[in-house]
Amino acid sequence: MRFFAALATLLFAAGFASAAWAHAALVSVEPASGSMLAAPPKAVQLRFSEAVTPGAIRLIDGAGRARDDARVSASGETISVAMPADLPEGTAVVSYRVISQDGHPVTGSVIFSIGTPTATKPPAARDGGLNMVIWLARVGLYLGLFVGVGGVFFARWIAWSMTGMAVPRVTLAIGIPCAAASVGALGLDLLGLPPSAITTAAPWKVALATSAGPALLVAVTAMLLALVALRSAWYARAVALVALVGVGLSLAMTGHAATAPPEALTRSAIFFHGLGVAIWIGALAPLMTLVSRPTAATLPIVSRFSRIAALAVGVLALTGLALAIVQLEKPGALVATRYGLILSTKLVLVTGLLALAALNRFRLTPALARNGAGAHALKRSILIECAIALAILALVAGWRFTPPPRTIVPETPLAIHIHSDKAMFQVLVSPGRPGVDDFVLQLMTGEGTPLAAKETTLTLSLPERGIEPMERKASLGPDGYWHVRKVELPFAGRWHVRIDALVSDFEQITLEDELDVTPP
Amino acid sequence: MSKRSCLFLIAALGASPAAAHVSLETKQAAVGTSYKAVFVIPHGCAGSPTVKIRVQIPEGVIAVKPMPKAGWSVDVVEGKYTAEYDYHGNKLSSGVKEVAWSGGKLPDKHYDEFVLSAFLANSLKANTTLYFPVVQECETGVSRWIEIPAEGAGHSHDSKSEGKSPAPGVKLLPKP
Repeated sequence: MRFFAALATLLFAAGFASAAWAHAALVSVEPASGSMLAAPPKAVQLRFSEAVTPGAIRLIDGAGRARDDARVSASGETISVAMPADLPEGTAVVSYRVISQDGHPVTGSVIFSIGTPTATKPPAARDGGLNMVIWLARVGLYLGLFVGVGGVFFARWIAWSMTGMAVPRVTLAIGIPCAAASVGALGLDLLGLPPSAITTAAPWKVALATSAGPALLVAVTAMLLALVALRSAWYARAVALVALVGVGLSLAMTGHAATAPPEALTRSAIFFHGLGVAIWIGALAPLMTLVSRPTAATLPIVSRFSRIAALAVGVLALTGLALAIVQLEKPGALVATRYGLILSTKLVLVTGLLALAALNRFRLTPALARNGAGAHALKRSILIECAIALAILALVAGWRFTPPPRTIVPETPLAIHIHSDKAMFQVLVSPGRPGVDDFVLQLMTGEGTPLAAKETTLTLSLPERGIEPMERKASLGPDGYWHVRKVELPFAGRWHVRIDALVSDFEQITLEDELDVTPP
Repeated sequence: MSKRSCLFLIAALGASPAAAHVSLETKQAAVGTSYKAVFVIPHGCAGSPTVKIRVQIPEGVIAVKPMPKAGWSVDVVEGKYTAEYDYHGNKLSSGVKEVAWSGGKLPDKHYDEFVLSAFLANSLKANTTLYFPVVQECETGVSRWIEIPAEGAGHSHDSKSEGKSPAPGVKLLPKP
């Protein structure tokens, strides 16, 4: 226990020492995504909420060609993509893939048009093949860590018997290559490379340089130690304990949750959550073997585990709750986001698992103790527990692909382009959803040169909901665009947008269009 | 007051009679004739007294002479026309482009008229509307009566297509 306390202190210290925010979010882009520009920009600047490492950054120009002459330079949280001088007219897309401090890639696109908009689209998301590999490798890794290392820990510390070590042995054999595969796949994902590039050094180097690299190394070490602990030796118990600690450490070293502020809390919560899972899930496979061939030793083992499992469940619930609060921020996210949906499903499964565990603890184990009956029922119950546990692991591995609600950033703003022979106006609405929105109005003449206006007025109405025109004066920002901040759009629907630009005392240019605001 | 009833009120005010706009007293005139343009100022800018009226003279309106007005000083801005116009045998290529009355004070609760005389050149197209954009400057605020409906939109029966501060206009009739 003293050991755990020391470790927790260490984790706390580590948490406080690194004050960085987790999972980089795009803070600003210059030029704003959706912009209409008169001339090609010198560079596209991406500013993130934390220091990031550029992964793959691509430029598709207005003619729809992928360009390889955009120079990328990074300094701290800013990434600057220098644009080639001969960028043609039309819509250009800069798609970026940067590596945030939790080791996950953050991707997105910046779209801007030079002169006139064309139909250039951001590149489609990669095929799901690599994601499948990442997911499978993660499930395999979890099996090795929880079923493998947890199983060995159970044998050495709870059962004091090496019965039923076949399953842990197999999962360790699966887990170790899966950890290696995770590194390779992560590297491919970070650099946006095809699977064939796995034979090159680049993806491995990049992946090992992220926080996920050392975490996976610790995981591999933990699994190797568990294999060592399978052998009968005087040091086997100590090695099994160190392996178990390794499981918690490995999980606490990387990922969305581990890097969520306050890190002191989240890292230690993950650590203990990992230990709890390993102790509980790891016990299931050996327990089943023990129960299916009951001996005199079975009953004390089952009762001992029953007590320890109760403690483990308590720790799991507490740490799980803390992490969920940090990651979700509000309960609505449980159903409104993919991250939350995974958590909700997991909670349902966990409830089932807890019900079974309670059944085992309060009905089946006492029955076994009273008259040695019910071994068959207990075995069946544990089998179902195993199946649910596997489903949970498979589900949780999917979190790799869903940013927690805490880090979700607004996407490309809603943009409309209004064109007449006299002028063209580009209207950017962010976030482009019902609620409070910011408008950026970019005014240009019919020829695409900037249009100097003395005053600009934005008028919005939603006739279908009986909202009469509301008029707001725009203010000219230092970027040369007109801004109207904090405009209330109370409903989704087809809003009528009218922009009056006063070009001289007696002349104004008015353009109108419809803006589709979709519900969130 | 609730937000909704506020919206209703705004809607009701918006629907009030067109007389609330700055307008021309004589609504139609034939091309190739003299035209006495009487600008009717029904109110100030959101309650504030009017202190200056500026009228932009559209192309094709020539030989402009503003009528002096007691208590107001009148200024004109001259410039080149984009075309040359025939005025009683003389070729005119420049003249008054803008007329401004200033220095007076017209309270919101009073009504007044500002007058100029002009000639509608022969080259103006009949059966169109000629607009005189007006900028009304007040002690606080400015009202710009400068909205000109897009071509074609002016004939729409939908009253909504009329802007909220249209420029006063005169319908041009064919030369008699």
